[in-house]
Amino acid sequence: MSEVTERNQNRWPFVIVIVLAVLWLVPVYAMVVTSLKTQTEVANQQYLAPPAAPQVANFGAAFSPLRRGIINSLIITLPATFLAVLIGSLAAYYLIFFQFRYATLVFFAIVFASFLPYQVVLIPLTQLLNTLRLLDTYAGLIFAYLIVNTPMAALIIATFFMKAPKSFLEAAAIDGCKPFPFYRMILVPMSIPGIVSAAILVFVQIYNEFLLALALTLSPAVQPVMPTLASLRGSQVAQWQIQMAGAIIVSVIPLLVFIFLSRYFISGLMAGYSKE
Amino acid sequence: MMFKKSYGFIYLTPMAILVVVLYILIAWNLVASLTLWNGILPTWHFAGLKNYINLFTFNRFWDDLRHNLIWLVVFIVPTTFLGFILADFFSSMKRSEKVFRQIFLFPMALAPVVTGTLWAWVYDPGSGVLNSVIKAFGVNTARLGWIADPRIAIYCMIIAGIWQYVGFAVVVYLGAIRGLPTEMYEAARLDGAGRVRIMFSITFPNVGHGTLISTTMLAIFTMKVFDLVYIMTGGGPGDKTEVLPFLMYQIAYSQRDFGMGTAISIVILVLAAAMVIPYSRWAISKWVQE
Repeated sequence: MSEVTERNQNRWPFVIVIVLAVLWLVPVYAMVVTSLKTQTEVANQQYLAPPAAPQVANFGAAFSPLRRGIINSLIITLPATFLAVLIGSLAAYYLIFFQFRYATLVFFAIVFASFLPYQVVLIPLTQLLNTLRLLDTYAGLIFAYLIVNTPMAALIIATFFMKAPKSFLEAAAIDGCKPFPFYRMILVPMSIPGIVSAAILVFVQIYNEFLLALALTLSPAVQPVMPTLASLRGSQVAQWQIQMAGAIIVSVIPLLVFIFLSRYFISGLMAGYSKE
Repeated sequence: MMFKKSYGFIYLTPMAILVVVLYILIAWNLVASLTLWNGILPTWHFAGLKNYINLFTFNRFWDDLRHNLIWLVVFIVPTTFLGFILADFFSSMKRSEKVFRQIFLFPMALAPVVTGTLWAWVYDPGSGVLNSVIKAFGVNTARLGWIADPRIAIYCMIIAGIWQYVGFAVVVYLGAIRGLPTEMYEAARLDGAGRVRIMFSITFPNVGHGTLISTTMLAIFTMKVFDLVYIMTGGGPGDKTEVLPFLMYQIAYSQRDFGMGTAISIVILVLAAAMVIPYSRWAISKWVQE
């Protein structure tokens, strides 16, 4: 404790952090104030000045073309996240609590799969979905996201399962607890923080994803929100206030998740990527 | 504790199916890259390395590979360095820490499409934030093209990437620094080591695994840069900001040359695997120890 107070006497690191924090926030500040300005105000390019009267109508103008995309994104992201976490947790359960000769090999296959760029499967995936007549459908996108995100979900949940107190689990086994009730009634309730971490990381990843969303959809009827935002950008050239309002609107969901569940978001990142 | 029931395999089955499909798709990609294509469908007539020869004699491919290397160096070094410094500062701060930490972490929750939209506006030569602020100081901004200037466009884009991903390095280093024993610092302080000295000769050498994780993950990220390029520049000016993941999409989905598209994705696979395989082995060996 004395070490912390002693180190706190140094003020210059604090100054550096504040300077960097301001640099990090200026673009966001400009984005927010600009999203509330009129076209004339934007044309004046006084981006750091606050708006004379907040133009909430900009958000309405940006929301109507994005609405379908947001709904589509939720229709795709919610079931894909649920299934990825369910399938991933079952796999993690098996790999950690059952004797299995090839567990290390399967782990390797899963870890390797979690980090591959999507480009590596994009073309065959397009053809597979095309053959199954699932191109440009919700089911097709959900399937695509499951393939690329379930390995990461399994990885994060496995990290948390390993941390579950062993003595308690052993007691349950000695009392004759069967494997499935053990998973459902003991392991999952005990590992809620890990499951929530995996769920939010996968949720944010899918919601924010762009490449698959762009390549595997053709019509606005199923297109998720990120390609929709990209086309809004194309149709509103130099209408910065509308573009910024649109960018803010699509960020609301992941930012709320980040603000209210940041502890889980961070522990998910740590478990998934850094094995701390 | 271990269950020995053989029917337990049923728990792994759904995951196994997905992973097998994933690896079949990769194998499909590899085989398809060696065959002739008829528009969007492979004819499955073996063509040897034709697609690869076409690719390797294509100047844009080498340009884009070079841009990927620029990303690798110019993106990773500052992101990791800044991440380490910030994490070191945060680990010695008390309550103020949380608020400031969030400022550097929240961009990670934003979609790269959003980051691209924001920074495309910051850098816009005519009506962007950066030039309007510089103009306010009475400087002529006519020659400051930023993202439109072929010489610096890619670096401008990388700064947007650093802005978004520094939080990742912060998180990794915070975890690593927290694991360090405090006695180490006390000994150093008794020897009269200053703050900067402690940071670079004690903390940094002892968070090597944090550096490994951060640089590897950021390196893998540079092999998938797509959204920022698509949103901010479309690869331009010329092909100055184009990278392989973007080229692959352009060639396959805009120009409908799926033969070359598969060849590019195999090059991406090889480059990514060179980073992912050693990392996966390391991560698993750490795991098995536990």
